[in-house]
Amino acid sequence: MKETWRLIDMRIEDAPTQMAIDEAIAMARLKENIPNTVRLYRWNPSAVSIGYFQSIEKEVNLPACEKYGVDVIRRITGGGAVYHDYNGEITYSLVAPEADPKMPDDILESYELICGAIVNGLAGLGVDAEFKPVNDIVAGGKKISGNAQTRRHGVILQHGTILVDSDIRRMFQVLRVSDAKISDKLIQAVEDRVTNLRRYLDRQVDFDEARSALIKGFEDVFDVALEPGELTGAETRLVKQLHEKYSSREWVFQR
Amino acid sequence: MAAELGVEEGRLVGVKITGDFFMHPEAAIIDLEKALCDTSVEDLDYVVNRFFQDNDVTLFGVEAEDFVKVVRLALEP
Repeated sequence: MKETWRLIDMRIEDAPTQMAIDEAIAMARLKENIPNTVRLYRWNPSAVSIGYFQSIEKEVNLPACEKYGVDVIRRITGGGAVYHDYNGEITYSLVAPEADPKMPDDILESYELICGAIVNGLAGLGVDAEFKPVNDIVAGGKKISGNAQTRRHGVILQHGTILVDSDIRRMFQVLRVSDAKISDKLIQAVEDRVTNLRRYLDRQVDFDEARSALIKGFEDVFDVALEPGELTGAETRLVKQLHEKYSSREWVFQR
Repeated sequence: MAAELGVEEGRLVGVKITGDFFMHPEAAIIDLEKALCDTSVEDLDYVVNRFFQDNDVTLFGVEAEDFVKVVRLALEP
């Protein structure tokens, strides 16, 4: 009988809640009798997440975030600054023990495997994507997904974005990507390096379609059945605690 | 990648290193910054190299040498 993992499907929450849920699941993984978990989610309100090591001042245009009602949060994972557009992006996360026989010991190999699930899912939509080490997925040579992993408490947490349709203009407003004024030339430069499902497939892609494809990708690559489930009572309590941390100035502005 | 720091009597103070890199475990950055605090400028290379030799830290997107470079850059007038 095929192994079953838990799917927590398309929760739409604010930034602190989403980061709290990811970390809560990772913290609880070895303490309770719960299977590995795949989550798909969207950020409402739209948000900027920065990597654990990034300088918030250097990366984020805080007045613009305030002006446009965009949340700002620091992840527990490294990597770069990401604009999570509620209307343009799906985020996934996967939690599994380091000791899980399906999980490589080597971090780079595990990035490749987990990103492989996304690549597989995107293929189902007709997107010819590939893993680009260390942590990117590209389609037609342009980045369509960025990923970040942490390993703590003997557990792997990897999360990443899949760009469905991007508001590049808004991204430039909220991230400090360039000192140059936002111009069509600057936007073109980004569009040369970054793509999304709508642009690649040259058609509207709704979230439900993308979601189904990604679920299938995880099931195929890991040879598991994803069964819809909810957070446990213990995880929910952890989410409450962690929400405080992620909302705190102390956490977000630590560097 | 960038560093912020001060120098008091030839010793580094308040070292903070930022960037879009990956470091496993993440908490190692705090240990590295602690190790650099109160280090003399001359000992920079030694302290950084020693840190990565003595600790089981995995880096992506940067190398140990980059931590030296970024501190040196911050030391320039």
